[in-house]
This record gives sequence, structure tokens and C-alpha cells, in this order.
Amino acid sequence: MMPSAELYPVNNFIGDAVRSLFPPHVAAVINGLIALLSLMALVGSLGAVLIYLERKVSAHFQLRFGPMRVGPHGLLQALADGIKAIFKEILKPEGADTFIFFLAPLLPVSAAFLILAIIPFDHHLQVADPAGGVLYVLGVSGLSVLGILLAGWASNNKYSLLGAMRSGAQMVSFEISLALLMLLIVMLSGTASLRGIVLAQQGTIFDWWIFKLPFLGILAFIMYLVASTAELNRTPFDIAEAESELTGGFATEYSGIGFAMFFLGEFVNMFVSSCLVTTFFLGGFHAPLFGLPVIDPILSLIPGFICFFAKAFLIVFLYMWFRWTFPRVRVDQLMYLEWRIMLPANLLLLMLAGLFVAQGWAG
Amino acid sequence: MSNFLFYILASAIVILSLLAVSLPNLLHGAIALVGSFFATAAIYILLQLEFVALAQIALYVGGIVVFMLMIILLTNDLGVDDRLSRVSAGRQASKVLIVLGLLGALLVFFKSNSSPLLAESAQHAAAPVSIDAIGIRLLSTSNGFIVPFEVLSLLLLAALIGAVVLSRRENKKEDQQ
Repeated sequence: MMPSAELYPVNNFIGDAVRSLFPPHVAAVINGLIALLSLMALVGSLGAVLIYLERKVSAHFQLRFGPMRVGPHGLLQALADGIKAIFKEILKPEGADTFIFFLAPLLPVSAAFLILAIIPFDHHLQVADPAGGVLYVLGVSGLSVLGILLAGWASNNKYSLLGAMRSGAQMVSFEISLALLMLLIVMLSGTASLRGIVLAQQGTIFDWWIFKLPFLGILAFIMYLVASTAELNRTPFDIAEAESELTGGFATEYSGIGFAMFFLGEFVNMFVSSCLVTTFFLGGFHAPLFGLPVIDPILSLIPGFICFFAKAFLIVFLYMWFRWTFPRVRVDQLMYLEWRIMLPANLLLLMLAGLFVAQGWAG
Repeated sequence: MSNFLFYILASAIVILSLLAVSLPNLLHGAIALVGSFFATAAIYILLQLEFVALAQIALYVGGIVVFMLMIILLTNDLGVDDRLSRVSAGRQASKVLIVLGLLGALLVFFKSNSSPLLAESAQHAAAPVSIDAIGIRLLSTSNGFIVPFEVLSLLLLAALIGAVVLSRRENKKEDQQ
């Protein structure tokens, strides 16, 4: 038997209430179920909110209104689109591999779902806090690459396969940069647990990792944004979808709910990535304190999860801003950027940060 | 409860591993392999070896399987002729015999040699190892594994440089042609 009923106990008042009402083993199961259900609700509602946001942001960037008809200011547009996607017929191309064709759209969403489980939204608003959280993030995000590769192959379509290969090469390359930047954060924080990383940034705004190291932090932040945009397959790095060249890349043959799942996975993964940026660089659930006498006590009254979501949505807005501002890069430019510029710069940054930590100039 | 979980996971590993080597479609085999890696990671979690479980997922699912998939995808005519060469009944029977013989030998070995790992008390003997402890042990100069670690990284660097050199030479030849 295991020494404790719960490997990763839920440490908030809901978890405590369930534990006081039920025997330990039942409580462990109920706590797990509550956590999973709340994550499902979060993924579902986030999808609608993010798709609505993307359409509105893109519209305002192009001096349009965007969706306005369904509900006030088009608020119910995402719902209508979701219902439409569910009721659409799912077409499977002839010669496509049935099992993989239907398995692939589920993988990116499940990757997002699994990573959301360890994001610390507030002091005790976290489903699980493994000590190797960063490693977990790296491992699980491989699932979305897997989904895209499988989708491209299973569609039995040249465009799909080309898109999948491009996206696979791209995501695998930029994952190296992401891993090195995460290593930098782990080195600064002295822990690999996401909650530990947030707690290491306690204090004013100048204790966040983005501002803590002179120039290095903000440089690392920018590099993380670039690498994660590439990892997310978003413009300017969306050569995997590239509507004008590949008619949609790996998702060309998908229709109805299969396509909707890819769409949802892409958007929720964007939010997950913003959550990770918030956790690694922007102090997670800590309020933005400036060290001023009057404003600080007022700011620290804001609940942690509101701070967290505000920061995360700021990063989401940045991603959208990138998408509607920059033109798409070519495949060779992308690979040049990663292997000739980002990777050496990352290694240099890591060494400099190591020097800072060893000299005790940081943290 | 954890015994029950163990048997579910163990049978999942056995079934998925068998599928990984016996499915006629290579890509299906790779997916079964992913499943078996995840089930193995779950067993590590049951044993409270968190770091090993996470490393298993990060390295095998996130790295090795993705590269295997890319190689499979680059292979021509995967969907056309995906049958493995047929094996005669006599060979199948000899395979079964070999597996049964190995299983029997293992059973005899563990029955006759009492290992401390199989004792009842061993279940609580293995304390969970923290990531910090692994990192310190790996990199400390006094009682650690710093020398093997550095030798391994040199080896990997040599392999990397070798790969770069190999691919460069080929490119030059193509240019000359």
C-alpha cells in the first residue's frame, strides 16, 4: 500500500472539506474528480473566450467590428460556431487510417488539459504540484507534436503530410530553446516545481524574473515569447498551416468536430503557454507591487487568481498582436532563426545567468 | 487499491508492448509504444519515483517517439504494403516455447534465490527520491557521478559533431554534381 492516500493532495478549503466528510480513500477519488471536472470546465469556457477574443482583436487591428450579430457585441458567436461544428458531418478521406484519423485531434487538447493541471492559478488553486513540474511540462507538450504528426499522416493527403513534417521539425527545434530557457528559470529559482518558481519571485515587481536580472531577464522573456510562438504554430511561424501554400496543412482534411478539436487545442495551448510565461517571468499569482507606501496595500488586496488571469491574458493579447502584425516567415528562415541565432544566444544567456547565480547577484 | 492499480497498469504494459511489436502497421505500433511508455511512467509514479516517471515521459514520449514517427512518416509506401512478412506456424510455436522457457527460468531463479527486493518489508524500504537529491548526487564532486556525467556529455557532443560533419560532406558532393 502507498503511505498516503493521495500522492498530490488538494490543499485548499474544498479539499479539506471533502477530506473531513469522507474516509481518506473515497476523499482522494472525489477530490480528483472535482479537480478534473473544474479543469474540463476551464478548457471548455477558455476555448470560447479565446476564439471570441482572437476574432475581436483581429477585427480591431483591421479597423472592423468583428462578430456583432449573435448576442450583445457578438458574445455568443463562439457558442453558435461550436454548435455548428458539432452538427457538421465528419468527412474521412478515402484511404485514411480511421483509428489515427480520429485519435489525432484529441492529442493537442489533452496536452493542454494535462499542463493546466499543474499551473498554480493561486496560492492553493492548483490540481497537483509535482517537484519536477518543468520536466512534466516539457514531456507532456510532446503530445501536441504527436497529434499534429499523426493527423498529417492519417489524412492521406500531400498537403497534410507536408504541413505535419514542417510543424514537427519546427516544434522539435524550438522545444530545445524553450527547454534551455526553462532551465534558466529553474536555475534562478532553485526549484523545478511551478509553485516553487512562483514563490521564489515573491516581493515587488522588481523581484519577478523578468526584471530581476539586469537585461538578462527581459532578454530571456523575449526569447521565450518567440520560441513559444513557434512552438504554438502561430503566425509569424505558422508555416505548418500556411493557408496560402498548404490549404490548411495538417488540418486540411478535417471537418466538423475534428477540426474544432484542433482549433480548440491550438487556442487552449496558447493560453497554457501564456500561463507558463506568467509563472516563469511575471511572478504568477503575485500582485504587481511597486514598493510604494499607499498603493501597495490596495494592490495586495486583489485575489491572486485575478492577478494571474490578468497577466496571462496580457500575454495572450501579445500573441494575438504578433499574429496580426508580422508576415509569415519561410521554412529556411525559421530553421536559421532557431539553430543559428536562438540556440547559441540561449546557451550564452544560460552561462551568463549561471555566472550571476554563482556570484550571488541574483535571487 | 494500489495493488489493483498495479495489475491494471502491468497488464496494459504487457498488452501494449505486444501490440507495439506485432501490429502490421508501423504507425499503430508506435502509438501502442507511446501507450506502454505512459503506463510505465504511471508505475514509476506508484513507486513514488517521480523524477524517473517524468524523465520517461519527457525523453521517450516527447523525444524518441516523435523522432521515430518522423522517420516512419518519411518512409515510402507505408500505407500501401504494411503487412509484415508472414511467419510459419513452426516458427510461431518456437517463439512461444522460447518465451515460456524464459518465464520458467525466471520463476525458478526467483524461487531459489530470495532477493531482498522481493521481501514484504521492501515495499516500505525504498524512500521517495527527490529531484534535488538526484541533481546534487549527479553533480557533486565528492560522492557523486560528476565524472560519468561529463564523460557522457563529451560522448554526446562527439556524436553531435559527427552528425554535423557527415551531413556537411554529403551536401558538398551534391553541390559538385
